[in-house]
This record gives sequence, C-alpha cells and structure tokens, in this order.
Amino acid sequence: MKITLTDACGIRDNWSLSATGTFNEGIHLVSGDVGSGKSTLALMMAGLFPLSRGCVVKEDVSSCMLSLQFPELHVTGRTLDEECTSWGAPADDILAATGLTGRDETSPLSLSRGELKRLHLACVLAKDYDLLLLDEPFSSLDCGEKAKLCTTLERRSQGITIIFTHEQNILPRVFRIWEIVGSRLINCGRPPDAFLHWYHLPPSVKKLTAHGSRPDNISPQDLREAACRIHG
Amino acid sequence: MIAIEFLRYRNLTIDALNIHPGITTVIGPNGSGKTSFLKICAGITLPDHGIVTIDNLPPRETEIGWVNEFPDRNILFARVIDEIASPLRFRRATSCSAIDEEVRACTESVGISHLLTRGVRELSGGEKVLVSLAAALVHHPKVLVLDEYDSHLDARCAATIDGAIRASGARYVIRCTQQMDTARESDHLLFFDSGRVTHTGRPEHVFQCLKGTAWYPVLWEYGI
Repeated sequence: MKITLTDACGIRDNWSLSATGTFNEGIHLVSGDVGSGKSTLALMMAGLFPLSRGCVVKEDVSSCMLSLQFPELHVTGRTLDEECTSWGAPADDILAATGLTGRDETSPLSLSRGELKRLHLACVLAKDYDLLLLDEPFSSLDCGEKAKLCTTLERRSQGITIIFTHEQNILPRVFRIWEIVGSRLINCGRPPDAFLHWYHLPPSVKKLTAHGSRPDNISPQDLREAACRIHG
Repeated sequence: MIAIEFLRYRNLTIDALNIHPGITTVIGPNGSGKTSFLKICAGITLPDHGIVTIDNLPPRETEIGWVNEFPDRNILFARVIDEIASPLRFRRATSCSAIDEEVRACTESVGISHLLTRGVRELSGGEKVLVSLAAALVHHPKVLVLDEYDSHLDARCAATIDGAIRASGARYVIRCTQQMDTARESDHLLFFDSGRVTHTGRPEHVFQCLKGTAWYPVLWEYGI
C-alpha cells in the first residue's frame, strides 16, 4: 500500500506547489509555513485539486478519507444524531466517546469549535481507511484530546496516515517527516535523523538538541525521555 | 482592572474574579466555558446575571479587538485590505490617507503585507486568522480578546504575532490557547473546568496545580 506523487503540481493564481515522493504505510507528518500549501497538497492527494502536471498514483489503496481543517465544512446533519448517522457511525457510541451524551438533538453548529472537532474526528476514526489524510487535526482540540488523538493514530494497525499540521507540542511518533519549503515538498527523512534537515523543527526538539540530548522521535514521551537524559 | 462579579451564563459560574493589566491566558478543556467567557469580556454576549466592568466601564463602552475561534466567522469583506481597514472606516473619524497608513503599519507588524491585495476566499486558514488579527489590532484597542487565534499558525508565525500583540499597546490581552508553551509566556493564567475557574494566578502556580495532566507543559519540570 502506498501513494506516490511524481512532479505533481498544483497552481492557483500566482502560487504553485510541486510535490514528488512516496508515502508508505505508517504515520507521516507534513509541516510548512502558513499559506505554504499544506491544505492544497492534502486536496491533491485526495484527488480534489486538479493537477497542472505530474500525477498522484495510489497502489493497493481501496479507501481514502480527507478530514478538512475546518470541521464546520463537513457538517451535513441538523442534529448531532443526524451528523453521526450521516457518517455511518453509531450516534450513541460517538456521543458517549466525545462527552456529548444527551445532546442528540443539538445542532452541530452550536457546539464550541473544539467540541465540533472532537465529534468530527470521532466520526472519521469510527472507520478504518487505507489512506487517512488529516488536515490540522489538532487545531481547536484541548491538550487532553490531542493526547488521545495521538494514541488513536498510533494504534492504527495498518494504512497510510498523513498529518498536515502546525502543532508543535503534542504529536504522535511518526514514521517520516516532510515539509513544504519554497513551493516544494521536501522529504526530511525518518526521525531522529530528519531533525538535521527539518526547517520547521518544533522549538522543544530544538531546545533539547541544543542541550545535547536529541529525542528519538517527536511524541511527548520522546521529549520527556530526552529531557531525563539531560538531568540524569 | 477587569472586575467580574456573580457571573452566570449557560454553564459559566464565576462569583468573583479580577483580571489585572497584562496578558491573561485562558486554558482548559473543550466545552468548559472559555469561549463564552471571552465573548462576555468582549461585550459580544451579555451574561444572564452578574456584572463585568473594564476599568469601571461595561465592555460595550470599551474599545475592544476580537478574534473568533472560527476563522471564517471573523471576516465581513471580500478583499483583505477592506477587511483590515474596516474598523477604522466604520469610525469615520480618520482620513483615508491616515487609514491607509495605519493599515500598512499594522500588516507589516503582523507580517502579511503581501496579502493586502488578495481576496479573502483564496486565503489559507492561517492567513485568515492573521487578517483577523490585523483587523483587531488596527484600531489600537484597549482590550484584545483572542479565542484560539494560534491554532492555525506555525511556530515562527506565532512568534511574530506574539511580538505584535505585545507591541500593540493593549492594556488587557485576554487570549485562549491550547499551546501550553504560549500559555507559559503570560502574566496570568485562568484554568477553566466545567464552567468554573478552578485555578488562577501566575503560570508557575497554575501549572504546578496541573502537574500530571495534559495541560502541564511537556518540558516545564525540566526547566527547558
């Protein structure tokens, strides 16, 4: 199972993005500045943004899901019950898992943004997809929910998970790190060697490395272990 | 001082709370009442009961800059330049050339001069937040209320914005964030849980109370 981009190019007005690379099974992290094209790349991978040249080829990928960065754009149900049902997900289970039990008849658009994001992600993650594209999945989630999401993603037994994010502190252990710099997708490699080339290296990893203790990966557990090594 | 007494609104219950000048950061779980609290401080929402005053005036009689947690809900105009200029144009008390100058200076401080001629619809989520921040800052408000403004910003961008916020001259900054590395750089922290302020004080005090939870900054205990 893999998705391969070969000189895949998206153009919008005076802006363009070129991407080449192969994403195998595991968790991939894509970082980049605001406006660098992370969301557009996610759309290109999902087949929802026209390519001006190049191609995106999916091999042995039978199901794909794109979670947009704005959860409100996914809403189709008038109530939470309808919203869960529209995803083919059991409403009672989803509402219980997201702390929204008893609010079946509430409008999704009256939830706080964090609650809506939680509900949306629970609906997405209720099914297994071969290719899971998550655009800013951590935005609006509280710290506890971010940690739970990391655990859920790390437990996905198979498939390709690609996270497009600005999150700096609470991240899962990842297989490979990518970033968009100068309108191009760059393969930084696997942690921890990727840290040598990663322009968007999180400040906490940068600080630990400066103290002489490079973490093995980017999860909070990896950061704590690296910090423990400094302090014996 | 911002004084809050016997506040009741939906699940919010605050009997007495004083917010002093400086940067106050609101943290806590989703659905704990943070956004309701910020909207009341900004004068967007009126509480069911209780009183909020900002230096002895109601919020609606105070100059306030506001950024919504939903980036699309901040924006009224189709062009970036019109959106950022709108708070000054609504006042009708400033000349066009002065407005142009204010907009130029503000966009420079936020690092989005290159977006001025763009249409709002073609912006990324993070860029929309930056435009909203510029519109909130451009009229030099006394109070800046920012609801999860940084959830779509990269680290460098967030640092630029932090500099712009600190240089804005706002007497009170009340912001909500889920980035604890940002929260630790505050004068005061408020931790909300189930509609109540359960911890308040300097960051070192509040984080000590939160040790063992997901809100405790990952590297805090190591002094990093």
